[in-house]
Amino acid sequence: MTSFELVEPRSLEETFALLDRDDPAVRPIAGGTALMLMMKSGLFSPLRLISLRRVEPRLAGIAFADGSVRIGAMTTFAALEHSPEIRRHLPVVTRTMRTLANPRVRNVATVGGNLAHADTHLDLPLVWIALGAQAVVVSPRGERIVAVEDLYRGYYETVLHHDELIAALHVPLRPTWRSVYVKVTTRTAHDWPALGIAVSLARDGSIIRDARIAVGAATKKATRLIQAETVLRGAAIDAAAVDDALLARAGDAAIGEISIEADSRGSASYKQHLLRVYLGRAVRAAAAAEPGA
Amino acid sequence: MTPEPMPLSQVGRSIPRLEASAKVTGRAEYVHNLRLPGMLYGKIFRSIVPHGRITQVNVSAARAVEGVHRVVTIEDIRSIIPNPYFGPAFHDQPILADHKVRFAGEPVAVVLAENYRVAEQAAGLITAQYEELQAVDDEVEAVSASVFVHDELKPASTFADLQHLKGQRGTNVALDYRLRHGDAEAAFAAADQVFEHSFRTQPVMHTPLEPFVSVADAANGRLTIHTASQSPSFVRIEIARLLGWAENRVRVKTAHLGGGFGSKLYIKLEALVAALSLLTGRPVKISLTMEEQFFMVTRHACTLKIKSAVDKNGRITARQCKTWWNGGAYADIGPRVTQKAGFTAAGPYDIENVALDSYAVYTNRPPASALRGFGAPQTAWAYETHTDLIAEALNIDKLEFRRRNILRNGRPQATGTVVRDTGLEAILDRLAERLAWDQPFDRGSDKLRRGRGIAIGFKAIVAPTTSAAIVKINADGSCTLYCGTVDMGQGSDTCMTQIAAEVLNIEAESIQVIHPDTDVTPYDMGTLGSRSTFHMGNAVRLAAEDAKSKIAALMAELNLPPGSNVPLVELFRRKYGMQAGNIIGTGSFHPAYAKPDHQTGRSPQVTPFWGVGGTGAEVEVDTETGQFRVTTLVNVVDAGVPINPKLVQQQISGAAIMQFGFTVSENMVFHEGQLTNGSLADYKIPGLLDLPRNFINEWVEARQHDGPFGAKGVGESATIALSPAIGNAIADAVGVRLTELPLTAESVYRAMQAAKGKPLPEQ
Ligand SMILES: Cc1cc2nc3c(=O)[nH]c(=O)nc-3n(C[C@H](O)[C@H](O)[C@H](O)COP(=O)(O)OP(=O)(O)OC[C@H]3O[C@@H](n4cnc5c(N)ncnc54)[C@H](O)[C@@H]3O)c2cc1C
Repeated sequence: MTSFELVEPRSLEETFALLDRDDPAVRPIAGGTALMLMMKSGLFSPLRLISLRRVEPRLAGIAFADGSVRIGAMTTFAALEHSPEIRRHLPVVTRTMRTLANPRVRNVATVGGNLAHADTHLDLPLVWIALGAQAVVVSPRGERIVAVEDLYRGYYETVLHHDELIAALHVPLRPTWRSVYVKVTTRTAHDWPALGIAVSLARDGSIIRDARIAVGAATKKATRLIQAETVLRGAAIDAAAVDDALLARAGDAAIGEISIEADSRGSASYKQHLLRVYLGRAVRAAAAAEPGA
Repeated sequence: MTPEPMPLSQVGRSIPRLEASAKVTGRAEYVHNLRLPGMLYGKIFRSIVPHGRITQVNVSAARAVEGVHRVVTIEDIRSIIPNPYFGPAFHDQPILADHKVRFAGEPVAVVLAENYRVAEQAAGLITAQYEELQAVDDEVEAVSASVFVHDELKPASTFADLQHLKGQRGTNVALDYRLRHGDAEAAFAAADQVFEHSFRTQPVMHTPLEPFVSVADAANGRLTIHTASQSPSFVRIEIARLLGWAENRVRVKTAHLGGGFGSKLYIKLEALVAALSLLTGRPVKISLTMEEQFFMVTRHACTLKIKSAVDKNGRITARQCKTWWNGGAYADIGPRVTQKAGFTAAGPYDIENVALDSYAVYTNRPPASALRGFGAPQTAWAYETHTDLIAEALNIDKLEFRRRNILRNGRPQATGTVVRDTGLEAILDRLAERLAWDQPFDRGSDKLRRGRGIAIGFKAIVAPTTSAAIVKINADGSCTLYCGTVDMGQGSDTCMTQIAAEVLNIEAESIQVIHPDTDVTPYDMGTLGSRSTFHMGNAVRLAAEDAKSKIAALMAELNLPPGSNVPLVELFRRKYGMQAGNIIGTGSFHPAYAKPDHQTGRSPQVTPFWGVGGTGAEVEVDTETGQFRVTTLVNVVDAGVPINPKLVQQQISGAAIMQFGFTVSENMVFHEGQLTNGSLADYKIPGLLDLPRNFINEWVEARQHDGPFGAKGVGESATIALSPAIGNAIADAVGVRLTELPLTAESVYRAMQAAKGKPLPEQ
């Protein structure tokens, strides 16, 4: 690791003055859990790191208002995990935390850093996409809203400019929807997933009124499965058992709309197969879950 | 000869490890924490090509970095060590690459700087150019390849059985071991049935949580090396040889080790730091990162072919095994692994006709060496899967088939050495009992199928080797033990004090252990291959007995009746007129050994004892994905008489967890000679959540007649049979046989699809 400058600005204005639109070696640092690993392995050599720890309260806190929750970018995973309101309104987030990293990492890793890191193996961005969350992006030019599914350009790549920050996340509260996240590992329990799938369903009796599905880990970036959602939308389901043929069609649609990558966790053909199997399992689990789950 | 049991028995007590509290309070000494005044830090620059001639190394940018003291290549090393090649079996490994690189990751140059960060940054500025050569990767192809990793074989003089290889050119085979017992060919010709299968195992890494670290300090015509080494005595001998010095000018000290598992044996960083300190006149430290460990030493990938003849009664009448060991670019102790695991490759079965061939092969990969089991887990993967396949074909219960063929005490093993004091049969019985083998078994559902499997294996112990120890009784009667066994987490300090305490009839916890320091502690061949409890344990026992007889002599001299209760401090007072003096007991142990015949590989005394382990497993397989969970894992080893039952149990569970990783998840993946997953994020060792719900670790007692108080080593036994037990259980669950490790969800699923005639496309 080479030497670098670490600064701790107290306000957004100060932060913007320190960021550099053109220099990727000047970066914000939140929990540092992703960044430090990249620095240790020599993948990233910063000139200047701008810590967001002391920036004004706009980046912190969990606040509920008007049918949505605003989660500050600097909120730690542990804060999400232990928040009773999150457990009540977004239980899928609380459940996902249990499968994610370890307590030491969760104590420092942040919601914003997790979103901005753009590693396709991360679990939470998939959950945010399925929940229909939006990122609040700020820069010296003002504020813009980016849906989480539109945040990613490619492998470790976001649509953010170097002088833009994620300030917060807006997550709509949808008490009638049911959500499930499945992390599929193929080697050890604490391995990166070979495949991550988040499914959110809205059901009207035995009809799937709406569906949002996101996959990651097996793809270059966290990706919404629009075609698979279309197959499911409007489909009639039997609460006890979702029809195999419907799930097979959803699986075909999913495989048709994305490109799956091989890595040391599995070949592309095996991950395709895992996607079919686990998409079905996740949809079934979501369909069978209580509203608001 | 075992002395009579002492009234207050120290042997058999599960006393907590002596160093436990120092470790958990962060006070235990590790070489990583060592800082010497004026010390320089080294960072290694490594090759990125697997095989090539170095045409240029450009170090000028690195040298220009502020804080860099010097950048060193092989030319500089040569000014200190004219022939800078080392190794325990072959003198084939250059201290830094010598005009040629033989694996991607090989050290080419070292930056020395005032601090580690500067050294690291400067090392990143070095560039090298190579004229790339074709690389050999596969252990079988390398045998007939026309590309040679080494121009000429250079066996060390220490191994008599390697001398015929001296000076050979045009080969990648570093050892061709053979064993012939009976007449296998004739038996195959006359056989009722013949079975033949091939197997493979993957390269894996030792992964000690403390990466390699060594510090050398050259001063006043001497050299002191502080190193996380499992074999300080060997380091001293080899460094003295490289320098042409007397051994007494080299001092090698260890501290606690954060794991070793065979990786920290022989020479690793020591020759390099020694040369660097002599070059600069300053202490030099090199500590590797976790990622660099992948380029130091690994466990052999293997290809194994095994063929058996079986008669109508389900008796194995002949077996032929051929094993190719992917040794990587430097032999290290690989030829010993090839030989030791070679002669047990037919398994713990009583077979009249055996033909074994075992080849140590050079390739352009990181060197491979001993890893917890010395090759036995690889050979057992083949012979215990093969055993199940035969039993299945013959429609004989798998336990029964093993019982019918098992090697019994008093019968000769393939080398001709008669097996004694082993718990082979008792282990099979215990596995059967723990798995309730004779009871109906719940086979699960279509979606989640259940299966169970067993396996058993054994290994020989490295021989001949020797250990020596000193027991010092101080003038106040307290006791200090000088012993060269390296405590790297296995609890050897604790075990050795129990042995000395048993003889001396004192409390084990009251004894102080002096850690290996070749200026102080006597010779020990190395902490490896489950040898310490037996070899060093016997040396410690003898040293304590020597001290005890000297105490008795002192009593006699003072006209005290034998068994008098006069305290030791009083004896010294009476003898010297004050609290002064001491008694020194010494012990040295060297078990009998007969060198195997070179042509037949046979010997009447090939090993001091046998290491034996068996595993039983129950699994659940998700038939839609091939994902499986081991729900029950029973490991049973033969522990002789345990000195410290708790430590024995920890050795069994530790060995089992390690081999579990080598079975289901660990795999060093190479692509065109490049390691593609060299970090703990991509190379997965198991965590606690991966362990089976029922994880049972036990031993059977099989008193080792010449072990200290009946004990034998157990560090490796639980690794041997674990992989085939799990493979056998998967086969039992879903009816597919995997022949290659690791057993992954994908490999299970692929095999299931292939069996249905719907193979999953490769991609
Ligand atoms: C041992 C370990 C295990 C892990 N296991 C899991 C797991 O199972 N599942 C999982 O999902 N993740 C896992 N993680 C990854 C973890 O989730 C990420 O490292 C973490 O979310 C990153 O957050 P951070 O605050 O530490 O980000 P940092 O490392 O501080 O930053 C990450 C990136 O985001 C940028 N950044 C940070 N904050 C902002 C902001 N507000 N606006 C714009 N850019 C910003 C930084 O410049 C950097 O590029 C694991 C990590 C470790 C170390």
